[in-house]
Amino acid sequence: MSETVTLTIDGQSVTVPKGTNVLEAARTLGLDISAFCYHPGLPVVAQCRQCLVSIEKNPKLQPSCQQVVGDGMVVHTTDPASTLARKQQLEFTLVNHPIDCPICDKAGECTLQRLYFDHDNADSRVDTPKVHKDKAVDLGPHIVLDQERCILCSRCIRTCDEVAGQHQLEFAFRGDHEELTTAPGEQLDNPYSLNTVDVCPVGALTSKDFRFTMRAWELEATPSVCNGCATGCNVEIHHKNGRAWRLVPRHNPQVNKYWMCDEGRFTYHSAREERLAAATVDGLPAGWDRALASAAKRLGVFLKDASQVGVVLSALHTNEDNFALASLAKAWGAGHVYIAGKPPVPARADGRLRVADVNPNTAGVKAIAEALGLSATPAFELGTTLPANLRALVVLGDVLPGLDAGKLRELEVISIAAHERGPVPSARVALPAADWLEVSGTITNAQGLVQRMHAAFGPPGQAIPAWEAVVRLAHATGVKLAWTHPREVFKDMTAAVAPWKELVWAREARPLALRFAGSRG
Amino acid sequence: MSAAHHEEETVTEGPKVLATRGRVRTVQVVRPNPHDTSFLAATATGLGITLKHFARNLFLPLRSAKSRAKAGAPVDESWKNEIETVQYPDEKVTYPERFRGLHRLTLREDGAVRCVACMCCPTVCPAHCITIVPEESNSKSIEKRPAIFEIDELRCVVCGLCVEACPCDAIRMDTGVHAHPVEDRADAIENRESLLGRGVRSIAHQGGEGPDWRATAAEKSPSGDVNR
Ligand code: SF4
Ligand code: SF4
Ligand code: SF4
Ligand code: SF4
Ligand code: FES
Repeated sequence: MSETVTLTIDGQSVTVPKGTNVLEAARTLGLDISAFCYHPGLPVVAQCRQCLVSIEKNPKLQPSCQQVVGDGMVVHTTDPASTLARKQQLEFTLVNHPIDCPICDKAGECTLQRLYFDHDNADSRVDTPKVHKDKAVDLGPHIVLDQERCILCSRCIRTCDEVAGQHQLEFAFRGDHEELTTAPGEQLDNPYSLNTVDVCPVGALTSKDFRFTMRAWELEATPSVCNGCATGCNVEIHHKNGRAWRLVPRHNPQVNKYWMCDEGRFTYHSAREERLAAATVDGLPAGWDRALASAAKRLGVFLKDASQVGVVLSALHTNEDNFALASLAKAWGAGHVYIAGKPPVPARADGRLRVADVNPNTAGVKAIAEALGLSATPAFELGTTLPANLRALVVLGDVLPGLDAGKLRELEVISIAAHERGPVPSARVALPAADWLEVSGTITNAQGLVQRMHAAFGPPGQAIPAWEAVVRLAHATGVKLAWTHPREVFKDMTAAVAPWKELVWAREARPLALRFAGSRG
Repeated sequence: MSAAHHEEETVTEGPKVLATRGRVRTVQVVRPNPHDTSFLAATATGLGITLKHFARNLFLPLRSAKSRAKAGAPVDESWKNEIETVQYPDEKVTYPERFRGLHRLTLREDGAVRCVACMCCPTVCPAHCITIVPEESNSKSIEKRPAIFEIDELRCVVCGLCVEACPCDAIRMDTGVHAHPVEDRADAIENRESLLGRGVRSIAHQGGEGPDWRATAAEKSPSGDVNR
């Protein structure tokens, strides 16, 4: 780093990079100065005055979010003057606040609730009627606003301006009638709109998708990586009762900072749909044993001359799943190797987070195929030039562009997939696999970063992680693959793929109960 | 008590070390005497107490009735009431006012369900017997209500914490009704309709207005100065 500055906060000396603000400097010491409008990912406006501190030789209290550190600065955060100022500021904020907590979606993760308990915890001194404003105002396709609850911090306005680059929100009127509205002729409708719900320190902005489904404190958070596109935004899966209820972004300065796109947030819905929960043979449910025996029998005929066998790797599955299947293809000596993925969506690319490639692991699967010396063709070409000698196809994933059901039926197709869609209904044998919310593994984003996903809950029915299904299929066809844990697949994989040599398998993350997580936003 | 004092205390129960030779210890085990462990005497005493109450129940009311008759009072069957038992189910004792009976859900003044599906009661319930599925209501000020509200009365441990937790006076256990006997476990699950069926209107202010702050502040401050 360049220059640093040393200052004293509450008697503790701290050295931070030049240009840091006092609030962040205090946070490095573990001192949490109360704040509403400050967000580390947004421009500073010092609008809420909730972060006032005393600075020696400065006659007035200063907002610590805006005050840049200076050498030798002496800051007090617990002195009577600034403590009283913050307490009184909070009281002002609460004057017209409706205290809707029982019906407010933010309850349990609300910054206003937390600061009230930290600072004041006293009865209201206001005996005049509160100013009432509109509730349940429809701002756009995804978001509902409660104007009474809004504390006018402007975080949402700045989020639209900075993250989406679209000015869609504004304040109107003045004094205690000031309220948040959409900008003239605008709706709150942009690909990153739901980030405003995350940053809102209170329950003024609520997501229509999540609204009134779960209380925040009932949920558990498991860290993972969005599988919506090749950006690989870091997310937290908020889940309960074996299903996800929402996805929220997790801070990663290298990838997504504090944000993610709306489309990515909704991907958890399709993860529940059309699940393949039992192994099938000829479209009928079968046990694992029968399905494996049937697959082995059907494949066995063609494995004598493995050039008749094709293997389809998936850009939608983890590195481990693909490495397992690629290793099996190599052991068989499979004649054809393809990489399947969804077709790109050029309209998505916006130079921000969203990119055209809607497959989360394109880079990973390419690197694996290359490292194992398999010459892989994109599956798009399968339909046009179906090789004459191709008889059997082992397909990972539920996406296989280029081949319609009729063509698939000409082949012996063995599917390993989480959903009954795409090629799966036409498969002779389908083996049920875990979807991304249920797997522990790694994916590689467009930048080449290998990112770790953790399983939030178990897969439904008989489904198992896809790499494990590959291991079972390998055993059934007489190939020994000795992995029993994704960590072991990962170890062999990093040994084989040169650019990933240095990588280590992170410890399994235990889900964090949000009731212990304090406030969010 | 000093440590030295502690050591001097004699061991009255358990093994007492008599001698130690290397790793071999000779211990004396002090056992309680058989008279104390047989419980024969205690059983007899207990039976005695039972018999005493039986006799008193039987003869005391009769004797007092006789003496009342001697004093000229009219002779009737009322002496039977003095026997310390009730002829259930013809007679029932009145429960204390705060007896926790079957739950009920209260109604707002306009007849709508008061519960706002805040999930406080299922969160606090130690028996995990409350299931609520919220939905959006058509009221503009109170936007949320329960679509499904179920309490499994078989699992309920009748602790009353749900009532304590409710910020809306929406759930109460003041019906004075026992959980009904059922033939099937599923029948013990009370649903939104049955809970509301027992419901009463509550006039408690919904939306929260505290007591007059000046009164409470003056109480708290010894000088009575409320403009702190
Ligand atoms: S809606 Fe939320 S984020 Fe936006 S100004 Fe109001 S309180 Fe702040
Ligand atoms: S930009 Fe891509 S990775 Fe990020 S949230 Fe959206 S879909 Fe997911
Ligand atoms: S009384 Fe106790 S156990 Fe029964 S529903 Fe209420 S909180 Fe649960
Ligand atoms: S605590 Fe009261 S308002 Fe909240 S869910 Fe239970 S009954 Fe409804
Ligand atoms: S956080 Fe500093 S003024 Fe709002």
